[in-house]
Amino acid sequence: MTPRPLTRRRYVFTILVWMAVWLIVSAAAVVVGGRLWAWPSAAQVWDVLWLRLEWVATASAVGAALALAGLAMQALLRNPLADPYILGVSGGAGLAFILASLFVGAAAAPALAFVGALATVGLVYGIARRRGRLEPYTLLLAGVILNAFYAAAIMLVTAVVRPQERGDIALWMMGNIGAFGPQWELIGVVAAAAVGAGILFAFLAKGFNLVAMGEDTAGALGVPVHRLRLAAFVAASLVTGASVALAGPIGFVGLICPHILRMVLGPDHRRLVPASFFFGATFLVLADLATCLSEGAAIPAMPVGVLTALAGGPFFIYLLRTRWRKRLEIR
Amino acid sequence: MAQTPGNPMIPDGVEGTGGQAAGGTRAGSGTDTGGSSRAAVEADGLHFAYVRGEAVLAGLSMRADAGRLTCVLGPNGSGKTTLLRLLVGLARPGEGEVRLAGRPLGSYRRADLARRVAYVPQETLAAAPFTVAETVLMGRSPHIGALGFESEGDWEAAEAALRQTGTARFADRGLEDLSGGERQRVLLARALAQEPDVILLDEPTAFLDIKHQHAIYSLLRRLARVEGKAVVAVSHDVSLASAYGDRLVLLSKGRVAAAGTPDEVVRPAVLAGVYETPVEVRIDEATGRPYVLPRPPE
Amino acid sequence: MCRTRSTLLLRAACAAALALAAGCDDSAAPGASSAGAAAPGPGSASAAPAAGEGAAAPPMRILSLAPNLTEILFAMGLGDHIVGRTTYCLHPPEAAALPAVGDTLHLDLEAIIRAEPTLAFTVTRLPETVRRLEGLGIRVVPVENDRLGELREAIATIGRETGRPEAAAALLKTIEADLAAVRGRVAGLARPRTLFAFPMTVGSPRIMIAGRGSFVDELLDVAGAENAYPDAADWPTVSPQQVVAMQPEVVVINAAVPGPAGRDEAIRRGWESLSSVPAVRDGRVYVLPEAYLTIPGPRVGQAARVLAETIHPDLAGEAAP
Repeated sequence: MTPRPLTRRRYVFTILVWMAVWLIVSAAAVVVGGRLWAWPSAAQVWDVLWLRLEWVATASAVGAALALAGLAMQALLRNPLADPYILGVSGGAGLAFILASLFVGAAAAPALAFVGALATVGLVYGIARRRGRLEPYTLLLAGVILNAFYAAAIMLVTAVVRPQERGDIALWMMGNIGAFGPQWELIGVVAAAAVGAGILFAFLAKGFNLVAMGEDTAGALGVPVHRLRLAAFVAASLVTGASVALAGPIGFVGLICPHILRMVLGPDHRRLVPASFFFGATFLVLADLATCLSEGAAIPAMPVGVLTALAGGPFFIYLLRTRWRKRLEIR
Repeated sequence: MAQTPGNPMIPDGVEGTGGQAAGGTRAGSGTDTGGSSRAAVEADGLHFAYVRGEAVLAGLSMRADAGRLTCVLGPNGSGKTTLLRLLVGLARPGEGEVRLAGRPLGSYRRADLARRVAYVPQETLAAAPFTVAETVLMGRSPHIGALGFESEGDWEAAEAALRQTGTARFADRGLEDLSGGERQRVLLARALAQEPDVILLDEPTAFLDIKHQHAIYSLLRRLARVEGKAVVAVSHDVSLASAYGDRLVLLSKGRVAAAGTPDEVVRPAVLAGVYETPVEVRIDEATGRPYVLPRPPE
Repeated sequence: MCRTRSTLLLRAACAAALALAAGCDDSAAPGASSAGAAAPGPGSASAAPAAGEGAAAPPMRILSLAPNLTEILFAMGLGDHIVGRTTYCLHPPEAAALPAVGDTLHLDLEAIIRAEPTLAFTVTRLPETVRRLEGLGIRVVPVENDRLGELREAIATIGRETGRPEAAAALLKTIEADLAAVRGRVAGLARPRTLFAFPMTVGSPRIMIAGRGSFVDELLDVAGAENAYPDAADWPTVSPQQVVAMQPEVVVINAAVPGPAGRDEAIRRGWESLSSVPAVRDGRVYVLPEAYLTIPGPRVGQAARVLAETIHPDLAGEAAP
């Protein structure tokens, strides 16, 4: 790919193109997913329109959030297998959400899930910090430990509750877009978090590129490496926590989207950040549309997390086996 | 490499425009105090330890002037890389001070420092498959804004750096596709794209064959003499440093054992003491500079 | 001297035998010690219950492994014979005093052995459970109990197995009368399209409703309503879009499990967004807390009546005939 200087004009133009793609796909998802042309009365069309708008908004916010978080984690940990949940945030948010919905109430669960995410951020930081700095290796280890702990805790809760609650927990763990009843405030929070993270990462993108060349190189070129790591870690964790509070732990979006974009756009984070935002949103909107459309057949609608997992695995194998492997390598 | 006109990598016999003839100027001893030009980079009494109690640098003072190629020598573990990292500001000394153009490093803002000082660490593989052009453009990052937009000026600086190091024809290739020597030149081009006043290099010829070793050092000397930069290169090859360097700084156990012109530093007694192995010193008749022949230990 | 000692011995032996006999009698007296702590009685556990023994039935120690079976047993006057219940058997209140032996998935075998039941009624067909219980020497009678028809059979079976057919018949008669009364009250009234739903679950946009042919569907039919869900299914889940398509005129939400404060409000708010649904437009979304609406047991009549009065609000003012 011939590199061209990334000027302001090109940047803005690219963002506009991505935004247009996302808007078109979302509009199509609203109309097609709701079969808006097929309802007998205008009142019903109105209802279904708002239902679809809410679900598409959820998918967009969560998709953007997860793709951005995945990109940041892969840059932060220098690991191509990193996804937003690798540092235990989904476990912390999930455990808090489950406990809250069992004992406190459905209304408080998202807020408490976010608190769980915050607590996990603090825990990971406390465990992984060495001399006030975060190293990728210790971060990964702390994340593995916490994930194991949270998985055990969730299993424990699942084992001791009533059977019907067990089913609810299992369903939530798959990740779902949409709820019965409006959630616009929560969607707004996640969307704001995703936009905030996107803007922050856009400013950190230059630093991500340089850190990929080497920590000393980046430092010598004026990048505050440790502050950058901390900012990326906290922002990615918070936006992941918000996303899990809204839709549960939807998998593979945060892992696949950055890689697909790297294949096409290359490793430059200045291009990858805005692309991840819009592509992640579009990706999840399409996945949600697919689950919506698959519902007519005998299969009941599957949670979107199941679809992304089913599709993600084989796709990734394909990526590994083809000549695209080289472009994905992160060492 | 073909000796075509305009190719900057032609090994020099005699300098082109300007610059002094090869060879040192005057004698000195202990800490380096020679040179009429104001020091670009100065280290003053540096103490540094990675682990408390194990000092890597113990009271080190040296200077590197603008317009000169200063070569830092010393056996393994003498603190060469650490010195370089302190000069760039990647680490802070426990005691002592590093000064750039007379002001302490700490008084500079990070971006400002990055615009003046370029650092070429020992060659490491990048974590992502950037192309050569992208790599060199990264050298412009202290000059470009927060969001990372590049202007035509940035692109021109990068192209100039590519030309200067003879790597322009690799611009679209990935970094891993190049040989060690070509990669090293690309990293040097990145440093040049920064348009710095000071260039610090950590063993720039570590993996290169003799042709490329001389090409790099020749370029470094030109950067110092012609463009007036202060170039500091850590080297493990005493003869190479002696052939091209204007000043040599010899480290031993975290201190300066000897500093001055090649004539002053490349002496059997001095070298044998520091490297703990007998050496013989001869003069290269073509350049007038001393070179080293190690002798087998007794 | 010898004669006195042997007489004494003989008398002591007779006294002991009498005492033993009296002791046996005590432990066999029904109701004396079975409420509260499970008194370990010697020997009588292996008495086989016989069918059709009449009024002087042998002592029965019943294990009731489902809430509705416990209700049926109490309604038939057999509450005193129950020696074990599941943790969810909380009605009638007297049942709570009985020892709990787990639930159908996890049986506390030690507690069961301590209770020394002779007869166990379960709703599960799990061969594992049946085998385990039979292995302990207990007679296991699985009864299916998911529909009104099965309820009738279950009551009859229990009557047969416990030797109380007339109690069973009486209970059945009461139930039929209750149901008939409700049917009579709603006869001739319009039958609105009704959805019987459970509260939303967190994390899923789908809600669980009663499908056609399920027990609740039968109750809806008795209560004079038509299930808005068109297909035969027990407990299907539907999305909000499907609810919009079904356009129910009445929605009944059974929030039986006690929830946190404000939950009912939250449920109503959730439904409010579906403004095209007639039930929402007309304000006919009701939240009912009664737990027995979904349990096929002696209170089905009550359940049908509650449903009828909710679905046809004009009925609520009238006194039940």
